[in-house]
Amino acid sequence: MTKNKIPLIIITFGLIIALGFIFFGGSKGKGNIKNEQLGDNNKETEQVSNIEMKDGIQYITINAKGGYLPRISTAKAGIPTKLIVKTNNTYDCSASLVMRSIDYQKVLEKTGEEVVDLGTPEVGPFQGTCGMGMYNFQVNFK
Amino acid sequence: MENRKYTLHVSGTHCASCKILIEDILDGEDFVKDGQVNLKKEIIEVEIEGGKNIEEVITILNSKIKPNGYTISVEKIAREKESNNILWTAIPVGLVVLVLFFLLQKSGILNLGIGGETTPVTSFIIGIIASLSSCLAIVGGLVLSLSAKVTQDGGGTKKLFILFHAGRLFGFAILGGILGLIGQAIGINFLFSAILGLIASLVMIILGFNLLGVFKKNKITLPSGIFSFFRKAEHEIWAPVLVGIGTFFLPCGFTQSMQISALSSGSFMSGLMIMFFFALGTLPVLALLSFGSVSFANSKHAPLFFKSAGIVVVGLGLFALLSGLAGVGIINPLFSL
Repeated sequence: MTKNKIPLIIITFGLIIALGFIFFGGSKGKGNIKNEQLGDNNKETEQVSNIEMKDGIQYITINAKGGYLPRISTAKAGIPTKLIVKTNNTYDCSASLVMRSIDYQKVLEKTGEEVVDLGTPEVGPFQGTCGMGMYNFQVNFK
Repeated sequence: MENRKYTLHVSGTHCASCKILIEDILDGEDFVKDGQVNLKKEIIEVEIEGGKNIEEVITILNSKIKPNGYTISVEKIAREKESNNILWTAIPVGLVVLVLFFLLQKSGILNLGIGGETTPVTSFIIGIIASLSSCLAIVGGLVLSLSAKVTQDGGGTKKLFILFHAGRLFGFAILGGILGLIGQAIGINFLFSAILGLIASLVMIILGFNLLGVFKKNKITLPSGIFSFFRKAEHEIWAPVLVGIGTFFLPCGFTQSMQISALSSGSFMSGLMIMFFFALGTLPVLALLSFGSVSFANSKHAPLFFKSAGIVVVGLGLFALLSGLAGVGIINPLFSL
């Protein structure tokens, strides 16, 4: 019986590592330097594409479908800011948007744009999740 | 010649109905004059016709009951060792299921666009997608853990699960109709459904550990209120029906989206149709989980099934718990799928 156990234990460890990759593989701050640089570059491009200034108001655009994209964005603190959450045939959890810090919760329209006034955010991270909590996004105000 | 009495050990008895099954088999043998199964002590007391060799008797009986997953022996089989070996097989089996499930979530296959009006057909398709989505972690996990646990305790009948699924379909239809009629939110209160989700995930974790048999000696049980409610499910009709209706309020993005559709549909019938077809779409996967439990539980793979189900349920329960805690803002999100 012990003979059978060794491969089973090896398989078990392999599966645990696979689960680890699924949950944490895509997140920042892990992995080698090269990956981190790549991640930073991605952030840079996201920053360009999803932050827009119009009439003195900073607009941050987040796409909600099967999660939130971009997951992490960086924006300026101390200026009037609005968050635009775009849905496109979104039926999954990301349609039920929760932002605890501003006491916001709403099930969004399947397709549309939800504009949320964030006031004048202070320096620090701002977080949003979906109703069940398995999707989230973060905006770092600097 | 005089009859002789023996006390034999039996292993593999996992349910109350096992006693009846084994006693039926014993009664079917001419040389067995009397057979009593004691499930607690895992022994069989038999009276054997004189002149029969006990070793011979055991061989004959084993050939009859082995297909059902039981083993009779003179000596007590080292149970711990056996159950440990099953556990070591169950852990990778359960993990494979979890890996496949989360890979499916991460793949984005389920994010296919369904546009346009919400019709019964689209509701049905969204239901199927929902039943494969992360909602399965809560609703499916709960169904699997309850089905497996109730079946392990010997109360898992087809009738019970038919009642549960009927209650679910009925509840979704009626509540969907009410949503369409009043055009106002019921059950869309986030905190309420989040708390319900947290309770569900705790129930799953506890039941999962129970299925694993980790707490064999010192079984943890659910808070008595909840537990006696599910216990009653074995005897009463309304309990499984109510649990089925209750799944309407469990946190699931898809359910919430469909509730909004029902809400804005404007009439009782249209709201009813949307929610009924949505629930109907979730039925195949959920039915597979519950009826699958029953058929596995009555096969010889029962011990492996219960332990693998335990691993899956604990995994899904932890996932739902950590997500749920992040959702209500108690902890920071640890991961994002």
